[in-house]
Amino acid sequence: MHYQMGSWGSYMSSRSVSDPLERVERLASENAVVIFSISSCCMCHAIKRLFCGMGVNPTVHELDEDPRGKEMEKALMRLLGTSSAVPVVFIGGKLVGSMDRVMASHINGTLVPLLKDAGALWL
Amino acid sequence: MSFISENIYCRGWSEEKFFCMASRQRVGETGLSGSGPSNQHMPYAVLQGIGHPATNLINQQGPAFDFGELEEAIVLQGIKLGDDAKKAFFTARPAATLEMFPSWPMRFQQTSRGSSKSGEESSDSGSGLNTDAQLEPESPISNKAPPDQALDQRQLQVEMASDDTFRTRLTPNQQANPLEKRKGAPSSTSEKVLDAKTLRRLAQNREAARKSRLRKKAYVQQLESSRIKLSQLEQDLQRARSQGLLLGVGGSSGGNISSGAALFDMEYGRWLEDEQRHMSELRTGLQAHLSDGELRLIVDRYLSHYDEIFHLKGVTVKSDVFHLITGMWNTPAERCFLWMGGFRPSELIKILMAELDAFTEQQLIGICSLKQSSQQAEEALSQGLEQLHHSLSDTIASDPLSSLGGDGIITNNNNHVADYMGQMALALAKLSNLEGFVRQADNLRQQTLHQIRRILTVRQAARSFLAIGEYYDRLRALSTLWATRPRENMIGDDSSYQTTTELQMVQTTQSHFSNY
Repeated sequence: MHYQMGSWGSYMSSRSVSDPLERVERLASENAVVIFSISSCCMCHAIKRLFCGMGVNPTVHELDEDPRGKEMEKALMRLLGTSSAVPVVFIGGKLVGSMDRVMASHINGTLVPLLKDAGALWL
Repeated sequence: MSFISENIYCRGWSEEKFFCMASRQRVGETGLSGSGPSNQHMPYAVLQGIGHPATNLINQQGPAFDFGELEEAIVLQGIKLGDDAKKAFFTARPAATLEMFPSWPMRFQQTSRGSSKSGEESSDSGSGLNTDAQLEPESPISNKAPPDQALDQRQLQVEMASDDTFRTRLTPNQQANPLEKRKGAPSSTSEKVLDAKTLRRLAQNREAARKSRLRKKAYVQQLESSRIKLSQLEQDLQRARSQGLLLGVGGSSGGNISSGAALFDMEYGRWLEDEQRHMSELRTGLQAHLSDGELRLIVDRYLSHYDEIFHLKGVTVKSDVFHLITGMWNTPAERCFLWMGGFRPSELIKILMAELDAFTEQQLIGICSLKQSSQQAEEALSQGLEQLHHSLSDTIASDPLSSLGGDGIITNNNNHVADYMGQMALALAKLSNLEGFVRQADNLRQQTLHQIRRILTVRQAARSFLAIGEYYDRLRALSTLWATRPRENMIGDDSSYQTTTELQMVQTTQSHFSNY
């Protein structure tokens, strides 16, 4: 699912990169596997362990350690439509989703091909 | 005239009244001239009484029959006739008997059953079997339960002894009779007849003994099946208790169930009943070799049945996550394997592998990757939960020096309280994450089941789901068997017997599940 960043950007008067969602997208496309997390969140810890267990080396952005983390968190909440923004996973710049989506895709066998396509997994 | 004998004969034999009456009538008809036929009636009625071991003739009240009088009259007659008459009396009886009661063998058997039963039950049964005053020819019949007979004869003797008239006339006969019956030796009088009768008596004893052995066997078998039924009932009771249906009677959780938990337990109970229904549907569907289309419907229904329980758990997670996570809604054996409020998804794959051999290569690949991914996901969630534990215990662990000043003196009390409150609030927030983990675990379980359905053919999926259902059924049965296992005398000979019965019970349970 590739969300429309362009329209958002043009709508906002300010074109600064401080637009949280835009920033999220930018950060997400920088690496093959990007996880937005909060350091004290245990579910985030679980999702990190999942990828590490698969042999993937994800890029983790701790929102509580980012000065604009709060805004990004809110933006993610709006994006996902849930009350908890983290953890959220992007693979190959595309949004995969929260923990339950990631697990579902791993079980139904779609996660591994996605990782391979993004170059995060070689085996 | 003593009415003792009448009491002995007639009390409590309400069912036999008509017969006694009939006998009486017949006697009346034939008159007392024939000592033979009239005599037959009385012992016959007596024998009928033997067939009712519950009857305690001595104690019960009943309408008074004139058997005593009858008996007296007959005896008097017999004695009047003298010894020759007596001989004739004795010898005549068998023939007369045979004439009068063509259906005698049947009755004979009933009586034998009844008397040997009473003989078994207690040697002191007081079923007043008083065949006996004159009743030598009846002795083979009455001798079906020798202990009974002997006792009753003694009783009769005692009672008769109180009556002078009887004593003088009858005791010699009675004394002769018990001796004959006990020792089986031919009496001085009517040797030939007694020999034949002794043989017949012995044969009947053997028959009675054989019958009682068979009855005992049947009784033991009945006990065994009752035991199994009892364990089933206990299982149901336990289930009902854990579902909070018997809250007031000391439920498994001590009666302090939250409303959310109680509701869940009730729904879960219904779900378990549905589970049985679905499983039998799968079973019959497979055995009947239904078409793939029909089987698919059954399989998909089974899947949505599982979706229901996951949805239910999702609702309950919000109201009482601890109820789910402690597994009080499960049976004890299931609780042993509890992982995050339910079964381990990787367990499903294990069950799968144990049951089916006929996989295509593609299916094998699919199953192996499912095995791997479910294990990885399980591991990730477990580590996340462990992190939560550490974090929570860190939050709750109070640093004794935190509220103290540098000089070791406890400062502001308010601060202490505020710190405590803050600590608790933080802990509460962290605890709420527990809900998320149980939710994710259920999600994993659900996804795994659906993936199994996707990988396999309809028939394979049906067999797999049946295997899964039976696995957890067996686990639940194990809980019951464990709870009802004998615990007292595990030493000596008892232990082997108990092991055997336990094995029998287990085998019986297994036979339900095998052969699919």
